[in-house]
Amino acid sequence: MTDLSRRQFIAAAGTGVASVWFTANAADVLAAARHAASAQPFEVLSPADAADLEAFTAQIVPTDETPGAREARVVYFMDRALATFAKDNRPNVEKGLKELRARARKAQRGATSFAALSNDKQIAVVASMERDKHPFFDDTRQATIAGMLAMPEYGGNYNKIGWKWIGFDDRFSWAAPFGWYDRDA
Amino acid sequence: MVKYRPDDEVDFVIVGSGAAGGVVAKELSTAGFRVVVLEQGPWRTEKDFIHDEIKAFDGLLTNKWDVSPNTFRKTEKETAKKQPCVLYGRGVGGTSVHFSANYWRFREIDFKEASMKGTIAGTGFTDWPITYQDLEPYYAKVDWEVGVAGAPGPYDPPRSRPYPMPPHPPKSMGVLLEKGARKMGWKPFPAPMAIASKPYNSRAQCVQCGFCIGFGCEVGAKSSSLVTVIPVAVATGKCEVRPSSYVRKIETNDRGRVTGVKYFDGNKTEIFQRAKAVVVCANGAETPRLLLNSKSNLFPNGLANSSGVVGKHLMFNGAGNSVGVFEHEVNGYKGIVATRIVWDLYELDKTLGLVGGGGFDYRFDVTPIGFPGSYLPPKSPTWGKAFKRLVAHNYNRTVVCYGHTSSLPVPTNSISLDPTLKDDWGVPAIRMTFQDHPQDLKLYKYFAERGEEMLKASGAVQAWQQPVESAQFSVHLLGTCRMGNDPKSSVVDKYNRAHDVKNLFIVDGSSLVTCGRGQPTMTIQALAFRAGDNIARFAKQHDI
Repeated sequence: MTDLSRRQFIAAAGTGVASVWFTANAADVLAAARHAASAQPFEVLSPADAADLEAFTAQIVPTDETPGAREARVVYFMDRALATFAKDNRPNVEKGLKELRARARKAQRGATSFAALSNDKQIAVVASMERDKHPFFDDTRQATIAGMLAMPEYGGNYNKIGWKWIGFDDRFSWAAPFGWYDRDA
Repeated sequence: MVKYRPDDEVDFVIVGSGAAGGVVAKELSTAGFRVVVLEQGPWRTEKDFIHDEIKAFDGLLTNKWDVSPNTFRKTEKETAKKQPCVLYGRGVGGTSVHFSANYWRFREIDFKEASMKGTIAGTGFTDWPITYQDLEPYYAKVDWEVGVAGAPGPYDPPRSRPYPMPPHPPKSMGVLLEKGARKMGWKPFPAPMAIASKPYNSRAQCVQCGFCIGFGCEVGAKSSSLVTVIPVAVATGKCEVRPSSYVRKIETNDRGRVTGVKYFDGNKTEIFQRAKAVVVCANGAETPRLLLNSKSNLFPNGLANSSGVVGKHLMFNGAGNSVGVFEHEVNGYKGIVATRIVWDLYELDKTLGLVGGGGFDYRFDVTPIGFPGSYLPPKSPTWGKAFKRLVAHNYNRTVVCYGHTSSLPVPTNSISLDPTLKDDWGVPAIRMTFQDHPQDLKLYKYFAERGEEMLKASGAVQAWQQPVESAQFSVHLLGTCRMGNDPKSSVVDKYNRAHDVKNLFIVDGSSLVTCGRGQPTMTIQALAFRAGDNIARFAKQHDI
């Protein structure tokens, strides 16, 4: 699925945008938004799981001159999703984290977590999962994008870091000039 | 709002409250008839409409596959697999609540293309029993009563009244389209949009929030049935709109007449609403499903299906798309989906060997979460620093050139009942069988190619074609109860009355004989105004 156009708009929900993360019903999504409104420690993820997941998200959208997934608190988005509308996805995340740690151990003998690996080794591990088309890679990648760009009420996109990343301004009311080329109108 | 008892035999039950159902409700209730509109979804208002992508992805406004699943197969030889393939608005106003509101009229050729250009073997490509001229007064009604903004273009079919509202501002995307199109030798013009460009009929002007497609309008500027015709119908004191009412069967008596409908209320309690006549406006997938689920001794193949063509000739319209990246910020996310269009390829040169035609717009039809997964260049990085940089650079510089096209009515492309799968109410599920005609795939590719050229002519620094493949999912659900003069090959007559049942009318995308060039709602609503007019006339003459 590469095309989120009109014809396939919501196939996105089923198959394009973080498929396994967004298959629950609207009531659960409402619960997620309410839940996120009251900031809490992790509800589903253990500290170790959260650390590894966060490190993974930080490889998808790294921190450089500008903030990345870590600063946008994407892992909080994931925790809240797993507590609510994506609760059916918990077993996949558990399995995926197990695989992630197994690969971390391969990358560095004795490693007990992905998060503790060096940056280069983390990149190598993520690349290996991408290469092997391990479902955890794409699911978590897409959930990271969603956690960057969903409304901050869902726990990620902290301080609108994700929206600032892409240049989306949530003013929701616009007039000309809409863009640079309006001058030629 | 007036309330009717289920055992009160009302004049009309209308199944569905969307683009078509809303219009028919308005026409029949203002003509003085007692009307009940049954809508399977809830009755939302503007305060329910928010810019929450997660909820939109999760089906806040649309049909729910977890309780009402679909199955899909490409050909009749296959066993269909459970797979979402049909998307429509579920709630008062139907899909008109969350659509992007492109309101192209069909042109004369769309009604008689088969006889003008020749039929195609293996398809049901044929002429309509009505012409553009028959429908023109009703297109004008849509312009004025629903509310369309636009300005005449060089290829407009004749119109009896001007647009009631001026076009929307071009935005940078429209400016770029005009530049590219002119370089191609084409004549771009303002897109007709059912969105208020100035205060209209007590509705607010569009604030250009940018959340049209997939979202309800929080200011009521989008001319959905919810804020246009439904309120007029309710204000007559003759029309009850009953939400959370899911119709499972149309009942008939031993004289072959419709007596009312059986539906489930919000508590899944079955209720029978009596009616003198029924108008089905449930969309091109749910309408044939309901007819096929309304079998009886007199109608063993489904109601109104003596022809056997109920559910057949499913059309989606086609798409040939390209994407471009520009040097400066376009900010496509700000404002309505499309502002300018090109109709120079509406009909194609014979020497190309292509069937049909289409039109273009420039658009940016994704909200933030959807962008990184859909409109980055081929072979882009998908994670890491390079990915991060690319998304940051491209989001505001990306333009999609959407080639909207015709598609052929193929009899084997269909909506039927799945033989085993049922929904949560125990009603057989929608099974879709669909494969784009090879001629159509060639057409889509042609439009993607021309679109890429136009993007480059507009000054794109990078442009590429989106892959063209046979569709397995659609929001345009057309042609499945086609209109025609011959009861052997069509389901409704030219007044949208079922050939087989005198007091049953079918009015929605299923009536379309051909699907135009990509924007069907304007024509669906013109047909609905025309049908409403004729149904009221028949009722007054006791000819129902």
